[in-house]
Parts: sequence; structure tokens; C-alpha cells
Amino acid sequence: MKSIMTCKGIAKSYGTGDIVELVLKRVDLEFFEGQASVLVGPSGSGKTTLLSILGCLLAPSEGQLLIADDTVNFSDKSSLTEVRRQKLGFIFQHAQLLPFLTIEENLAIVGRNAGMQDDDIKQRLDGLLHRLELKAMRYKHPAQLSGGQRQRVAIARALLHRPSIVLADEPTAALDWNTGKTVVELLLEQARMEKAVLVVVTHDTRMLPLFDRILSIADGILSEQAQTAAAENIFYTQP
Amino acid sequence: MNTVVIPVATQMLFHNHLRFAMTVIGIAIAFFLAAAQIGLLVGWINTNSAIIRHAGVDIWVMAEETRAFDYGTAIPRHRVQQVSSVPGVVWAEGMLMGWATWQHPAGKRINVEIVGLDSSHAGGPWQLISGHIDNIEQPETVIIDELSYDVLGLRELGDEAEIEGNRVILGGVSRGVRTFTAAPFVFTSIENALKYSPYYKDEEIAFVLAKVEPGVDPGVIRDRIAREVANVEVLTTAEFAERSVKYWMLETGVGITVIITAALGLLVGAVIMSQTLFAITQDHLGNYATLLALGFHQKTLRRIVLTQSLSLGGLGIITGSILFILACNASASTPIPLETTPLVSTGLVVFSLLCCIAASWFSIRAIFKLDPVMVFHG
Repeated sequence: MKSIMTCKGIAKSYGTGDIVELVLKRVDLEFFEGQASVLVGPSGSGKTTLLSILGCLLAPSEGQLLIADDTVNFSDKSSLTEVRRQKLGFIFQHAQLLPFLTIEENLAIVGRNAGMQDDDIKQRLDGLLHRLELKAMRYKHPAQLSGGQRQRVAIARALLHRPSIVLADEPTAALDWNTGKTVVELLLEQARMEKAVLVVVTHDTRMLPLFDRILSIADGILSEQAQTAAAENIFYTQP
Repeated sequence: MNTVVIPVATQMLFHNHLRFAMTVIGIAIAFFLAAAQIGLLVGWINTNSAIIRHAGVDIWVMAEETRAFDYGTAIPRHRVQQVSSVPGVVWAEGMLMGWATWQHPAGKRINVEIVGLDSSHAGGPWQLISGHIDNIEQPETVIIDELSYDVLGLRELGDEAEIEGNRVILGGVSRGVRTFTAAPFVFTSIENALKYSPYYKDEEIAFVLAKVEPGVDPGVIRDRIAREVANVEVLTTAEFAERSVKYWMLETGVGITVIITAALGLLVGAVIMSQTLFAITQDHLGNYATLLALGFHQKTLRRIVLTQSLSLGGLGIITGSILFILACNASASTPIPLETTPLVSTGLVVFSLLCCIAASWFSIRAIFKLDPVMVFHG
């Protein structure tokens, strides 16, 4: 499988002098094309910190992040923006669609920002809205949609510009179980179809069997669990 | 880039219709206040130099140190012949400008500016709505402006009043001859004016007005007259108009007051815009952080804020300009007209837009400080 993203000895600490808090301890990790990973762990364990570093939003204190064999230069904000613009797609906890734009406009501006041609944007938008069953919502504003529909739009927004990596932060936290499961299934399906690396942070352990790979983090230490064992151990919460 | 900036900027603005409308109205009123003050200034400047500019001559000869048209003082009338004989002068004639007291038919007394005209009536009213300019050659006959009807108490040709105890008869009515000093202009012949003006002796006038040969630089003739005619000051029409305007606008402080008021109007507009833009930006910080996280450059976000600023400013200026045009039309026939020139209008619009851009500084600073990682913290 083709390697898309690699973490080499990534660590993150906050504070200076005697008051230094190490929130992420030496993470070595590799993500492959089309692979779906889930990142779990208790609150404050470092999940969001790791996701922020993978998303080129936060600089690590140590180590390197490589995307498609290129080392990310965290000291250059402009190049970080370029990486996010071209190679990353994001899904946030509350979708965070722009409330003043229609669904179509919310998606189109991401394509335009990534430099896609109008024809390509239209074709891509039509396809994604169809696949995510959002065609009827096209000209509506986010406030007119349910939470699940908004997250489906967020999935479309994350995938529209064909990023090689999609990062999702608690995408089901604000949704009920059934809606959340549907959203995650859709996300997995679409990411696999696009052959994108998918990394999802979640508290909802019921989702774990859906992923290819389970990454667990506690006290800043990352470990990988075997999928079958994890599913057996954790899936007890499935209603 | 505009395919992102313009829709995001405008939709973000229009999202809150009420605040958008109130901001545009606020900027429009502020712009109108500034434009009205400057329009007042331009109107005053035009009023102030109107007789000089409408006289149709190239050179004005006057007593030394004459500060403004309204403060002309006595020079001998034979200066007219001296100026006429200077090579390059086609013709010259005199003009008298003096202050006198007008006795209103109802009894009240008003200061007026008596303008005595020579045989060709240079410097006289440029538009008459009744009577004829030649009527001033008749004894005791004067022309007043329609704006002075009520102040002077005359309305129909043949109506009578008094100046300094001498009878005056209305022989004509002009239009658009405003006074800057609040003392109405009263046009008559030099001979009649000498009777009404207590500060002039016989054979005295205030100005010599000269026309130079076509194609000749008035500056050259001005210098020539200055060399050949003693004890006078010689100015071209443009120079005299500028001196009169500068006197009233700068030396009396009137202009400074108006300019300060205009600047305050613009400042109020800039503050309104700055506060509103900042509030809008603060409301949308989460959305800006989302855009940053999604890979939008800081410069794109700054363009969004600038586009909003220019949109609000542009709409406010257009609305304010419409109000100003209406006010100009409404004031056209009043003693205090609002006027403008293409240069002044362009300057005001450009300055106002610069104020709008400056007003977006606080918002842009807020975006500069924004950390996109906040999107992962709700």
C-alpha cells in the first residue's frame, strides 16, 4: 500500500522551564492510501493535539510530519495553508458550515479555493450531493438542515477537492447513535471510494468495528490495537 | 480569488439584514454631513468670488492691500484712463464697491453692499429676471437680487426705499447673485452709487476692471499695469478671486470651522463603520477560523474584510451622495447653496473610501491573531 502520511518521533509539550506538560510523547506512525483509522482515548489524552498536528494546524515540539514524502515545514504558515488547501479535508464536531452560504456555496468555495475549475466543481458537487443524498438540500442554508444532514454536507466539503487525507474530529458527537452511525458509514464509504487516508477522533467506542485500524492514546502515549480484539473488548456498548 | 472573496464577503454582510441596513444608513448620514459641510464651503467660495468671476474681465486694479472684493477702498477714477492706455489693454472701466444703510419700507435698517457699475456694466448681475441693466443709468435706480426681496422689502419694479436718506427705485431683479456677507448687493451706476456711499468722494471708485487683448497672457499685462500705474495693486481675475476666497475662508476662520466639521462628519462615519465591521468580524471569528483551517490564506480573509468595508462604504457613499444631490437641488435657490465641483466630489469619495479601509484595520488585526486550531475546540 502507498504511504501517504508519516509521523516520525512527534512530540508536543506546553509551557517552559520547570512547568512543562508533555501532552504527546514520541509518536511514530504511518498512514496508507485508503486506510481508515480511528483515534480513541479519554479526554485530555492528546487526541485533539495529535489531530491538530496531522492537520498542519499545530506545530509539534519535536519530530517530523511527512505528507507524500515531503516534510511539512511548520515554521512557514503559508506553506501550511497550502498543504491544508490541497491535501487535507476536515470534518469538525459541529460541521461548522458557513451559516450565511447555501450548501452549494459552502462546497463550491472550497473547490474554488483549491483552484478547481468551475466545470470540475459542478461535476464533483453534483456527484457528492447525489452520493450523500443531499441534492434536495443544495440551495438551503445550514440552519434549515438537521444535524445529520449538516455532517453529510461536511463530509462532502471535506472530499470535494479530492484531498489525500481526511481528518474528522468527533463527527458524531452531536448526533444520536443511528444518525452518527450512518454518518460514519457514509464517511468511510466515501473516503475509501476516494482512496483517501481517513483519521477519525471519537469517544464513541461503538464505532470502532467500522474502521480498519484502531489507535488508542492515553497520557500522550499512542498504541495500536488489533481490530478484532478491540472490537470484542469495546463493542459491548452496541445497543 | 474573487469567486471566493465576493460571495463570502457579501453574504456574510447581508446575513444580518437589519445591521447591514443600519450601517449603510449610518455611513450615508455621516458622508452626507461631510459632503454638506464641504458643499457649504464650495457654495460659499463660489458666492464669495461670484462677481469677480462673472465680470468677464482679465485684470482687477485696486487700492493696495485690498483683502477682498467686499473691502474695496477708494482710488481715483482717472486710474481707468491710465489703465486703458497701457499697451495690451483692450478696454477698462471703473467699479465702485461701498457699504451703506438701506431703509426697509417697513422701517428697519439693513447694511447693503452698493456696487456701482461703469458704462459697460462690467461686474454687474449676470442674469436678470425683470427690468434691464440699462435702467441703472436712470437716477436713483437700482437692481437687487430676488433672494433679497424680503430683506430689502422691494418686489415690483418701481417700488421705492431709501439708502442713506436718498430715494431708490427698483429697476430690475437679478437671479443667483448671492452675498457672502449677509449684506445684499445693490447694483447701480457709479454716479448713483457715489450718492449712496458715504465713504467715497466724487471721482473715486474702488476697482478698475480691464480686458486684455485676446491671446495675451494677463500676467504680463498685470505686471505692465503695476509698473505704469502708481499706488495700486494689480491682480489677475484668478488671483483676486483666490485672495477674496482665502480672506473669508482662512483669515476669518469660517473655512477652518467648516473643514473641521466636515472632518468630524467623516470621522463619525469611519467610527460607525469600524465598530460595525469589528462586530461582524467578532461574530464570525469561528467562521474565519474554519476557513483558515480549510486552507484559506490569511490574505483571502483580509480581502473579505476589505471587500465588506468597501461594500458598506460604497453603498453608504452612494446613498449619502443621493441625499447630497437632493440637498443641492433644494438649496439652489436659497442664500446658502450647497455646491460642489468634480474635483471636490472625487476627492471626498476617495477620502471616504480611504476612511472605510482604515476602519477595517481592527477587524484585520483580529483575523491576524486568529489561530485555526480553535476549530477543534468548538
